[in-house]
Amino acid sequence: MKRSKLKRQGVAGYLFLSPLILFYSIFLFIPLFFSFYLSFSEWSGFSLSDIRWVGMKNYKALFSPGSVFFHPIMTNTFGFALGSLAISFAIAMVISYMITRLRYEGFWRTLYFLPTVTTIVAIGNVWYYMYNPTSGVINGALTSLGMKTIAFLDNPHTALASLIVVGGWLGIGSAVLILTAGLKAVPEDYYEAATLEGAGVSAIYRKITLPLLKPSILFVLITGFIGGLQSFTLTMVITKTGGPGNATNVAGLEMYNQAFGFSNWGLASAMAFVLFLFVFLITLIQLAIFRRGGVESY
Amino acid sequence: MRRKPVPWFSYTVVIVGSFLMVFPFLDMIMTSFKGAAQYNNLYYKFLPDEWNLDNYKTAFNSLSMGLLFKNSIVRSVLTTALILLTSSMGAYALTKLEFKGRNTFFKFVLSTMMFPSFLFFIPNFYIMVHFPMVGGNDITGSGGHGGMATSIWSLILPFMVSAFGVFLMRQFMMNINDAYIEAARIDGGGELRIFFQLILPMTGPALATLAIFEFINSWNEFIWALLMNSVNKDLATLPVGIQTLKSHLDSNVTQPLVMAGLVISVAPVLLVFIFLQKYYVRGTMNSGVKE
Repeated sequence: MKRSKLKRQGVAGYLFLSPLILFYSIFLFIPLFFSFYLSFSEWSGFSLSDIRWVGMKNYKALFSPGSVFFHPIMTNTFGFALGSLAISFAIAMVISYMITRLRYEGFWRTLYFLPTVTTIVAIGNVWYYMYNPTSGVINGALTSLGMKTIAFLDNPHTALASLIVVGGWLGIGSAVLILTAGLKAVPEDYYEAATLEGAGVSAIYRKITLPLLKPSILFVLITGFIGGLQSFTLTMVITKTGGPGNATNVAGLEMYNQAFGFSNWGLASAMAFVLFLFVFLITLIQLAIFRRGGVESY
Repeated sequence: MRRKPVPWFSYTVVIVGSFLMVFPFLDMIMTSFKGAAQYNNLYYKFLPDEWNLDNYKTAFNSLSMGLLFKNSIVRSVLTTALILLTSSMGAYALTKLEFKGRNTFFKFVLSTMMFPSFLFFIPNFYIMVHFPMVGGNDITGSGGHGGMATSIWSLILPFMVSAFGVFLMRQFMMNINDAYIEAARIDGGGELRIFFQLILPMTGPALATLAIFEFINSWNEFIWALLMNSVNKDLATLPVGIQTLKSHLDSNVTQPLVMAGLVISVAPVLLVFIFLQKYYVRGTMNSGVKE
């Protein structure tokens, strides 16, 4: 009886899972093995019979002393991820703390969240315009304050920083969302008890709020960092190929351009796996921290 | 915290901050009304000198907005519908049917979230263009004129499964009492019928959350749509159409036109979000960050 039920449900189970199984076979397993193989090959993307095995050549090229991939591209990638995360995290910590004390909290949070639900094409184009040396708002403001205009995106010294600002601005919304949820999960009685004991605002924040907010903070930092390492659409929309020179180029964009701009599919695949290695290591750290902290895997 | 004095300082900071968050959108809207004479000026002015709708008219004519809109809508609606179906079917199997390897499969689905999307652009591009038996391709995937990229399905199929969706639906279905299902089974209901007539109607709130989340993601997705557009220009979605228009023309001349196009493409999603944000927010809380 039990056996036949198991068997009947087993058939149904696999039938219900068949779309997933089919999908993961075609769009996960085959591509992963395919591009892993490509990362050891030279190929221009035309016929499968042209794929030429070259062993570690692509990886060696990425790690070689003259390679632009590690510097400036990977350093830009980490710079962008850390810089924009620092901006969005610092601002979100202040804003989320204040928002929870205000009326119409949901309304304010919505305003901060608008960029998150807007296509990067819109975000990129608007900021590109705002950074415009002659007709953009930022230089307009500098001029009216009697300062010189800055060619933010054309100057190699300011271009990456300008992009980091946009990345930071863009990340505020989701960080605020997660941090306000964390703040509201702190039981009200803790605050009341501390106030009765005569604790000041800063003591309450350090002794109660911060420790209880730690899982949310870790979540924002780690997922934000992983997201920042992968980001390249914003850079593509604003500076097209990561210019001037390689000043704003990041790993994802370089991978995209090597594959679809220069038809170096093997080299591009190697770049994808190098970047993936970093993302994977950080994911493992995240899992380890959350396991130890007793937080449910997200 | 109640009955305390009004937190003026917090209000000031939050309001100044929200202004900085919203300003780029206002700038986008204002610029979309500016005429040619104004944006060729060498200084910035927030308000348009005169409000004219020329940019919107030109955007509709020269951007083939109709096609872009149609592509965006078809793509987002079908992707969302397929994700709802595959997620809830998968979740049903993972919660209400007993078979070997069930938990292993769920762990596998969760682990797929570790693979970032950039790993798949290169191989999936080749797979789509050389998909066997479509777009003139033979069984080996060659000989055709673009394979799957000849059809809008190339923008849908690679997104038709969402690990987050399976996770969300599974969480929800675990709380549905098995007694309903046992009763239906005793009455002789087949699993498909139980799923569609009994279970799906009960999962409304979870489906709503997932639908809005995935619709917005799909509407905004850019890189993959850009890649398919490089094979077949007829597949341009709103973000792709506007971005490629920009790269074809001098950006100083077309800036207000681009802004008008962006306002048109951003407005539907912002409206969906503002009215249904309760559901969207729930989805984001569970997934963490935007892709």
